[in-house]
Amino acid sequence: MNYFVKGNPDLCIGCRTCMIGCVVAHEGKHIFEVDPDSYSFNPKLHMVKTARLSVPVQCKHCENPACMAVCPAGAISQKDHCIVIDTDKCMGCKSCMDACPFGAINMTVQTGKFQADGSEKKVANKCDLCYGLPGGPACVRVCPTEALTLVTEEKLGEAMEHKRMEAARNTYRETHPQE
Amino acid sequence: MGIPEIEDAGCLLCFGYNGADSHPIVARRIVRGKQKGMKIICADPRVTETARISDIHLQLKGGSNLALVNAMANVIWNEGLADTRFIEEHTKGFDEFLKVIEKYTPEYAEPITHIPADEIRRAARMYATTKPAMILYGMGVCQFTQAVDVVKGLANLALMTGNFGGPSMGIGPVRGQNNVQGACDMGALPNSYPGYQNVTVPEIREKFEKAWGVPLSDQVGCPITHVPHRILHEKDEKKRIHAYYIFGEDPAQSDPDLAEVREALDKCDFVVMQDIYMNKTGLYADVILPATAWGENEGIYTCADRGFQRVRKLIEPEGDMRPDWKIIADISTAMGYPMNYRNTEEIWNEMIDLCPSFTGATYEKIEKYGGVQWPCRDKSMEDRGTPYLHKDGIFATKDHKALFYGTDWHPPVELENDQYPMTLSTVREVGHYSVRTMTGNCRTLRNLEDEPGWVQMNTQDCEKMRLKKGELVKILSKRGYCITRCLPTDRVKPGATYMTYQWWIGACNELTTAKLDPISNTPEYKYCACRVEKIQDQEWAERHVRELYDDIRAQMGIDTGKGAEA
Repeated sequence: MNYFVKGNPDLCIGCRTCMIGCVVAHEGKHIFEVDPDSYSFNPKLHMVKTARLSVPVQCKHCENPACMAVCPAGAISQKDHCIVIDTDKCMGCKSCMDACPFGAINMTVQTGKFQADGSEKKVANKCDLCYGLPGGPACVRVCPTEALTLVTEEKLGEAMEHKRMEAARNTYRETHPQE
Repeated sequence: MGIPEIEDAGCLLCFGYNGADSHPIVARRIVRGKQKGMKIICADPRVTETARISDIHLQLKGGSNLALVNAMANVIWNEGLADTRFIEEHTKGFDEFLKVIEKYTPEYAEPITHIPADEIRRAARMYATTKPAMILYGMGVCQFTQAVDVVKGLANLALMTGNFGGPSMGIGPVRGQNNVQGACDMGALPNSYPGYQNVTVPEIREKFEKAWGVPLSDQVGCPITHVPHRILHEKDEKKRIHAYYIFGEDPAQSDPDLAEVREALDKCDFVVMQDIYMNKTGLYADVILPATAWGENEGIYTCADRGFQRVRKLIEPEGDMRPDWKIIADISTAMGYPMNYRNTEEIWNEMIDLCPSFTGATYEKIEKYGGVQWPCRDKSMEDRGTPYLHKDGIFATKDHKALFYGTDWHPPVELENDQYPMTLSTVREVGHYSVRTMTGNCRTLRNLEDEPGWVQMNTQDCEKMRLKKGELVKILSKRGYCITRCLPTDRVKPGATYMTYQWWIGACNELTTAKLDPISNTPEYKYCACRVEKIQDQEWAERHVRELYDDIRAQMGIDTGKGAEA
């Protein structure tokens, strides 16, 4: 099963530390040493705020990903519990962006690479659960209120077990209202 | 009370305080408290992150604070929810206070606050019946012309419910700047020496004269917010200010009515600026003294809960800069009063020996316990300070009784009118701290938000004016204007606008009013009348903003080689 990161709006304070953590994890610490305008700031998750809700939104790492199905370049694949984009293969057609029902994919500039017309190369960008980076998803690690969780098969299993237990108890209560 | 105790309160009344944007680390305590079952009442005109998770959100009309606070007191008394024993044993002035709040029924307050009377009742009941109850208040209380009255009003609520002197209760000012508490503790106020010792008391003055070996003035000094007036309009030549030494502050960005501030800095004969980066005030300075930043300094900060904490140096400063204390010592020496401190501990030791309520807070003790809350009077390691200022209901007055203090609500100074039909309140945003001297130079924070900033407006108002998210708009008041981006949001009420005050281009203090609270001398940053205008030619506006930004950066000598992203 693919894993995914889930935000809890009851804990989130909308501070966007997760977005910075994401960029630093993927770009590397060298961004603190180069010209501030020379790297691209491409967080792979986005803070959403409505009247009564604050929570970051990112890729769900679907089991049957619409993005993967529509990609004509074969740039999207499943690897170690997550769905990742191979930016070298990505041709920037935006089909995945269009197909994703969660708005989890955007197009970003790849610093230092250029496309046919000479402008900087644009590729699809989305959460990769910090694939290949040590320590697991950076957003989960940096969140000051622990509002983000990496949902694994095991964690999901435990949660389902707990919910079934509650459901069973409720069934008992419904049939024995006097107790 | 201490900051860590927030999460163990039964009920938190969060009044004009937006923790998530001002102090995310304090906000974490609020979130944790909620998880532990704490009830939250949030009084704020906006849907803040705290309002979002609150049990009751009192979305009051800006500028109606005291009407709401008095109405809550009215309900608590009339519904028999007051702690009459505490009032009798530990307080004075309750009968006079009752006379003031008598007329503040929830129905009376409803049209002023725009909160339904029953919501006020519900909030008053929740606050009075859930123990222990804690109050946190922020700049949404302090930055009004009626500010001190509201602080006293909130203290009245805590007094009449017996919420003083124990864990997770009381009333906590959560400050506007880090170490505001420390600055006040150290006597950076016009009326006191360190340790809140009044400059007008002869014995105190004599004590400091003896310690420092110089004659000292017995007059109260000039509040910072009076400076522009004292430079520009003071008739008495002897009282006129000719020199202004500013450090760690950027009045040309953070003070209200910037046009007046600029005029004052311009007319002032001599301006010294001491800071870690160039800022707007620096453009008016005759002398600039480069200082070290937080990671290059050592010393002591005081937290909002009166806790002294050590700050340690991480790295050695590089280049031609010095810590503030060394600069001050050198200036003083050059002016004929030699200061020869070898380190900050020597300064600290001199200070605590002159301040009875700080005497016991030695470096050693602060180091050992991680922090010491004053008063701490004895140097022995047994005196660990005072977590509860009014423990067991014993107050710092002559007869140890607390005083009720009731006043009538009055509206803000500048109300909406035909020409300026909306209101402006200055606020904070989480990524950028204060005047952006620090965070504006932090690249990833600049990546998240950069010039010219945003004006938060209700979506209905935006629809009426056909304004879209990100569109540049002109916002004006009687005093000036600026250009910023429109941010439509349902978190603010129609008719109200909110801007953060750190942007050089979207500088909302061009608009704010310099009217002050008569006691604290704090300006009414949270209320003035304004108007938003649509800019038809957006391309011109984008270009104009970029030019303005490049121009400021060029004036400041910032390398604009790669061009600025406006």
